[in-house]
Amino acid sequence: MKAVGARLPRYDGLGHVTGRTQFVDDVRVGRTLWVKALRSPHHHAAITSMETSKAEKLKGVHAIVTCADVPKNVYGHLEALGVPADEPLLADGEVRYKGQPIAAVAAESEEAARAAVEAIEISFEEREPLFDIRKALDGEAPQIHQWGNVYPHYGPYNHRRVRKGDIEWAFENADAIVEGVYRPQAIEQMPMETQVALAVPEASGRLTIYSCTQAMYFSMGVVAAHLQVPLNKLKFIGGTVGGGFGGKVDTAADTVCALLALKSRRPVKWRWTREEEFLASSTRAPWHIEIADAVTNDGWILGRRMLTLHDSGAYSRFSPYGVTKHAFHHTGAYTIPNLRFDGFVVYTNRVPTTAMRGFGVTSVSFAVETHLTRVAHAIGMDPWQLRLKNANRIGDTSGNGVAMKDPSTVPVTLAAAERVGVELPAEFRQMTPEPRSGDLLPEHLREQQRLNGEDS
Amino acid sequence: MAKHRGRGFATIEYPTGMNQNGDPSQAWIKLKPDGRVDVFSGTVDIGQGSKTVHTQIVADALGVPYDWVTMDNTNTDSSAVCTGTFASRGTFIGGNAVRLAAERVRERIIDIASKELEIDPSDLEIENGEVIAKGAPQKKIGIPDVAGAATYNYGELISGSSTALKPFADVDDSTGQVEIEPHSAISYAACVADVVVDDETGEVVVEKLVQVYDVGRAINPTLVEGQIEGGAIMGLGLGLTENSYPYYPSPENRGGEFGAYLGPALHDLPELDNVIIENPSEDGPFGAKAIGEMANNAQPPAIATAIFDAVGVWVTEMPATPERVLEALEAKREPRRDGKRVIFDEHISVRTVSSNGGEGFLGVDA
Amino acid sequence: MKLTVNGIEQEIFSPPLTPLLHVLRDELDVTSPKAGCQQGGCGTCTVLIDGEPRRSCLTAVAAVDGSEITTLEGLGEPEQLSPVQAAFHERYAAQCGFCTPGMVVAATALIERKGGPVERDEVLEALGGHYCRCTGYVKIVDAVMAASRGQTGAREDEPETGEEAPVMIPGSPA
Repeated sequence: MKAVGARLPRYDGLGHVTGRTQFVDDVRVGRTLWVKALRSPHHHAAITSMETSKAEKLKGVHAIVTCADVPKNVYGHLEALGVPADEPLLADGEVRYKGQPIAAVAAESEEAARAAVEAIEISFEEREPLFDIRKALDGEAPQIHQWGNVYPHYGPYNHRRVRKGDIEWAFENADAIVEGVYRPQAIEQMPMETQVALAVPEASGRLTIYSCTQAMYFSMGVVAAHLQVPLNKLKFIGGTVGGGFGGKVDTAADTVCALLALKSRRPVKWRWTREEEFLASSTRAPWHIEIADAVTNDGWILGRRMLTLHDSGAYSRFSPYGVTKHAFHHTGAYTIPNLRFDGFVVYTNRVPTTAMRGFGVTSVSFAVETHLTRVAHAIGMDPWQLRLKNANRIGDTSGNGVAMKDPSTVPVTLAAAERVGVELPAEFRQMTPEPRSGDLLPEHLREQQRLNGEDS
Repeated sequence: MAKHRGRGFATIEYPTGMNQNGDPSQAWIKLKPDGRVDVFSGTVDIGQGSKTVHTQIVADALGVPYDWVTMDNTNTDSSAVCTGTFASRGTFIGGNAVRLAAERVRERIIDIASKELEIDPSDLEIENGEVIAKGAPQKKIGIPDVAGAATYNYGELISGSSTALKPFADVDDSTGQVEIEPHSAISYAACVADVVVDDETGEVVVEKLVQVYDVGRAINPTLVEGQIEGGAIMGLGLGLTENSYPYYPSPENRGGEFGAYLGPALHDLPELDNVIIENPSEDGPFGAKAIGEMANNAQPPAIATAIFDAVGVWVTEMPATPERVLEALEAKREPRRDGKRVIFDEHISVRTVSSNGGEGFLGVDA
Repeated sequence: MKLTVNGIEQEIFSPPLTPLLHVLRDELDVTSPKAGCQQGGCGTCTVLIDGEPRRSCLTAVAAVDGSEITTLEGLGEPEQLSPVQAAFHERYAAQCGFCTPGMVVAATALIERKGGPVERDEVLEALGGHYCRCTGYVKIVDAVMAASRGQTGAREDEPETGEEAPVMIPGSPA
């Protein structure tokens, strides 16, 4: 029997249905301490003073860490990809979002840890926050990030660009220019298992970290960088996670547990409350997308101008990556030969946004698809036919110049139409993903084609 | 005051693997002396089923029964690098890592079997746990015997390792153009949403979603369905109910508990009709592309266009809550026409909302 | 205080207002009930108290002194699954598995209360307060209805390669 293609039962299914699957919170290690964090009560403020000595003396408290305890406090998740670091593990001198961790306590019980957090003496001087990405470059906008309010490191640019073909020609020769604004919202990853980690100091000097990360080696690299230790000092145990959806790519609890375990010489566990998960863990980003499509009355999309603002929250995390991915897919499942795209990562005083299912592209799908139906109505064309006409075909090139090998815009669209009984003219019903020719290869689509199988 | 039916749809595409590549997954495999197979992979199973899918891939790539394969993805001491479970990369890149490692193990098995059977390796094939001479099926040796011979006679550990890695694709910052393909594959989907909109309350109910997914190859069709179903409900949340900032851009009134934050529950479940299409990828394991991440992308636009079909107004700030639908019904905004320009949503544009007309953002586009 | 947990009588030493969830997880090491929210909002901590499904995170242990508590561990073993466990396994009703303990326990109570086939609306009513972020609930509803009808074990209605073979695109590389 072939395994591939078979409906074989889940490898881990019996564990799941009998309660034997061990998640991080189910691991039992003797003498484990509990962690609680002091988090910012303000959206944007300077930390004018902080004193932990009273809290340290409370009964049951074993260790408190602040930014001063972190060997490398500012480390970027994407430094390897050339995105500089901007976010401290624990706030240093200022806070830029409500819920930002400032200090963390390890104590004998959850209650003792909570009491110690409350006993940390801290004062703030509130600063004006920024929340509306559309106003980030207004003259009166508060400056909230060390790089300014917009990520400045796309090579020499402060935005991710796509330039293809002749955009001026497209807009001059269009019969209609259809413009719209799309604002998909932030949502929670909302895994049923909240962020959790357990760090155990071993006799050998190593740390064993039980982690709910979606990426063990990635998180191990993050912890090693903050701690400034080689990878052989760490062992990550994981691989079984109670839902992630992108939110557990951020290394949320591992590093703080590692620091507290080293300082207290005890196993320490940090299980975020549901409230922390909702309010202090990263979300999907809110986006602001403006599209102008240059179209002909018979339904060709000659060109697209697009402006995207991505609400990154207080720090960069994966946002520069997400906007690049967004840029690479801003034509959706269609071939548009003339393009001008500008995408900005904009900082605000909200929880940093991060990866979530469909990262960078969920926003494109919403904006582009809603817009195309509007375009169809504006020029009086059937929206199915508009899509099929402009669909990606073998040999077409994407916005960034990649030749398409196996596009399925046509088959999935036709299959959906058939499934719901949409009647299409024969010339549309008979479409395939095969290369454009005849009426489907007008002059304006010839130059973009790359049919000889080159990779790009 | 009435309920109105509407239908909308969307077609989408989604890339497999990290954008711009450079994201390795590595795996290694060894045989026990009785031929049973230990796979070490760093791919995290967040519920999507990578342990199952990778086991299926190894079983077929080696030619052994599925239940011979043990999957260990538990720790970084025994597993090699996996960049992570994100970017819909688990089946394609993680799957290719275990497939390529299994192919190396397969070669070693055939080499040892060749010595035992005294038949040239090129004349041997593996099927259902046995190494068999092509065209002479009576000449064969079981993999348990091969593994035993390797361990005790030849002093060899049958093992293999591999890395699935597509090189990093540099991007030209001035044009966004790339020299090499910046992803591993592209998956496609279409979704049709049937909705009912109550023009008195503004409530939108999604009655049915018809969804078509091209996943390249469904390694485990039931797990693919699971992704499609789970993604559909997440897409429904995006379209109708979920919002971390109910009064965005204001940060106030966030939901800090279930019930205050409106994730979809059982009662929100519409009728689903799912179709899986297989347009295999040249490079994916057994032709697979991906399914996980794209599964919540097609519903929000299908819902937004269905609302327009039902009541003739556009809601382009998501989610389409009753408040927003009622507001749109009341405002009845028409696009402004300026020559050949048809301008929707001007009231929420950067040019309108920014106090300096969006200078700095729109400047690059002028 | 005393509890009978999965058939075994246990002396309880936690303070009387300790949530039952913490008693089970931290005093008795019974870890299938999960601390999904500890606000009574998600259902992952659901256990049976004298046969009734209850949120163990909102239940003070003193309030259930002397009761019989059943958790997922008490319903069946991997080698001998209960009908609901078998249906969840066979019908892929678990993905990440974190909500599964609460779902299976609540579904078991529903089926026992009904004593026969349960309908879709009844599943929605009984499990409506349980969140699952992975599955979209489709296979959970399917599994509960199947379990109530005794439709577990080998499934004749579902060949291993799938009832509906996926559609192949003509001309595509096979």
